Amino acid sequence: MPANKKHLTKSPWLRFVKILTGTVGGYTVMFTFHLLLSKLFLPQNIVVTSFITGYILWAVLLLMSFLAKNVWKVLGMYVALTVLFSGVCFIV
Amino acid sequence: MDNRKYNVYFHTHTISGIIICALLYVIFFAGSFSFFKEDISAWQKNTSYVEGRKKVTRDFDHLIDSLGRENNLKGRDFDFFIQRHDLGAYVTMTGSNDTTLKKKVKPKAMAEGKKRRGRGRGGDDDSKYFNYDFAQQKSGDYAEAYDMGEFLYRLHFLAQLNSVPIRLGTPFGYLLAGVVSFLFLFALITGLMLHWEKIFSNFFTFRPWAKWKTLWTDLHTALGVIGFPFQLIFAVTGIVLIANVFLIAPYTKYVYKGNSSALFQDLEYSDTTKYVYSYQPIETSFSVNDLMTKVEKKWEHSRISAVQIKNYGDANMHVILTAKPYADESFSGTGKMIYRVRDQKILKEVSPVKNSSYVDKVRSFIYHLHFGDFGGKPVRVIFFVLGIMGCLIIISGILIWLVARDKNNVPKKKRVFNFWTANIFMAACLSMLPVTAFTMISLLFISKPNQSDIYHLYFYSWLILSVYFIARRSLALINHQTLLLSSLLCFLLPLMDGIKRNNWFWTTFSQGRYDILFIDLLFLILSIISVLVLFKMKQHAKTKEIKVMAQE
Repeated sequence: MPANKKHLTKSPWLRFVKILTGTVGGYTVMFTFHLLLSKLFLPQNIVVTSFITGYILWAVLLLMSFLAKNVWKVLGMYVALTVLFSGVCFIV
Repeated sequence: MDNRKYNVYFHTHTISGIIICALLYVIFFAGSFSFFKEDISAWQKNTSYVEGRKKVTRDFDHLIDSLGRENNLKGRDFDFFIQRHDLGAYVTMTGSNDTTLKKKVKPKAMAEGKKRRGRGRGGDDDSKYFNYDFAQQKSGDYAEAYDMGEFLYRLHFLAQLNSVPIRLGTPFGYLLAGVVSFLFLFALITGLMLHWEKIFSNFFTFRPWAKWKTLWTDLHTALGVIGFPFQLIFAVTGIVLIANVFLIAPYTKYVYKGNSSALFQDLEYSDTTKYVYSYQPIETSFSVNDLMTKVEKKWEHSRISAVQIKNYGDANMHVILTAKPYADESFSGTGKMIYRVRDQKILKEVSPVKNSSYVDKVRSFIYHLHFGDFGGKPVRVIFFVLGIMGCLIIISGILIWLVARDKNNVPKKKRVFNFWTANIFMAACLSMLPVTAFTMISLLFISKPNQSDIYHLYFYSWLILSVYFIARRSLALINHQTLLLSSLLCFLLPLMDGIKRNNWFWTTFSQGRYDILFIDLLFLILSIISVLVLFKMKQHAKTKEIKVMAQE
């Protein structure tokens, strides 16, 4: 049996927003997070660590956007986190 | 588990899976065979590397002398990248650093020369890139030296699709392979979450002869659970090795301010140290072989992976050796020796087995895990089996997807579409094994097969077979006939090798040509497995008939 439709997003627009939030938003959160770490620690060590942690974190963040009941909350959170991380990066 | 979450996992798993399944199958299939890349090369060329390692001495001086007969070597840089089987090298010879000798290079050729990394054909300047075989002391260009091992290896990251003229920062094939492995990672995570609560019971559930649907489901989950760690490793390391541009490009921009060579230097990919050209001829004579012998003795448990010569024949001539430790000695580490020829002084020496940096540790970890080169043949065989299991998981996934949607309440149009999707995917995927065996057998009958011969044989036979199966419109028939073809062709491979080249199991065994023997045995085993599966399927069909009759 395929997944029960009643639990899935019906509107194609909403689905598009979810995919975009997960891929682009997830990516920027993941990247700015590692960017921040690279300011705090030896950058090459963080870069090489992110080869493993980065992709996994990105995939998990992508999943989060599908899992959330309200995608706009996730979008807001991702934007906020990205701004926060890159803001701290800028200050440090 | 929350019913809503369960359905979200289910749906995302299904969609990401069905999008990538066909390409992922190609990647898994070709990748599994790539664990035996050197053996396949040895098999095709009929020159055993196992045997050769004991007999052949690598004569770098001879190679340089023979280059010197055709070219003025003064002031050039050389790069010898030694292949994993140790008996060949990719050689790059640059134009001279001596501006008085340097030929006028057309600006266009220069630009092309810069763009190519390693694999190109060289521009109009007199730099050269070629492949050198130490056993036969012969050089050939890349297309001539191309073989089936290289073909399957490159197919597993879709390199052949690089000719598609879409460039988004990285060649199309690599980008596609990267996207596929990322979606694969996503499908793995959702799949794990989906089965999380039942993971223990699923591990022990296998009802092979119940119903087709349950067979596929059990196969999918049982193999998926067993193979999960392995597949997770390959998903992550796969992205890193082929499409790391996702991370490298922004890091270059934001951490290294656009200076990519600084990044690569920090990550220990390359050494960009410049060696000044002095315009003074060197007085001392020098032999690369002697230096190699000395260093090989010093770094016993390592293999020298690259030899670089800077400013050949100049007073400021340097030789740089790079070595990698054998994995049983040390999992990470890179040995480096910089040797100044003028006064025979070692300027820098880093032992391959000591004090590797964190960067080196992580990179070696990624590399060794992906290549499975840390435990000799047994680990590669295990990885091969796990890889083929990956193929089975993909196939069963496609079938679950189809069977779940093959119901009366599904609109006719959708069912037709679903069937054709599964039909095309199954035809393309399952014909890979017979096509691989067929291509390898055909190569026995071509005197000097090159890159285009392999391309034609493989891709055309793949196309023809796939089209035939698609046209037959029956999944059971595809399954049955590919098994039949596989058992036949995989059996013919060692047989023809014996008839055509006298490489019977016992002869290759007694001559110590174990790599050739291994490929013959591998295909014999694949053939036997195909026969067994065919036989079991027939038996199963029979018992089912009897049951049905008894019920009536």
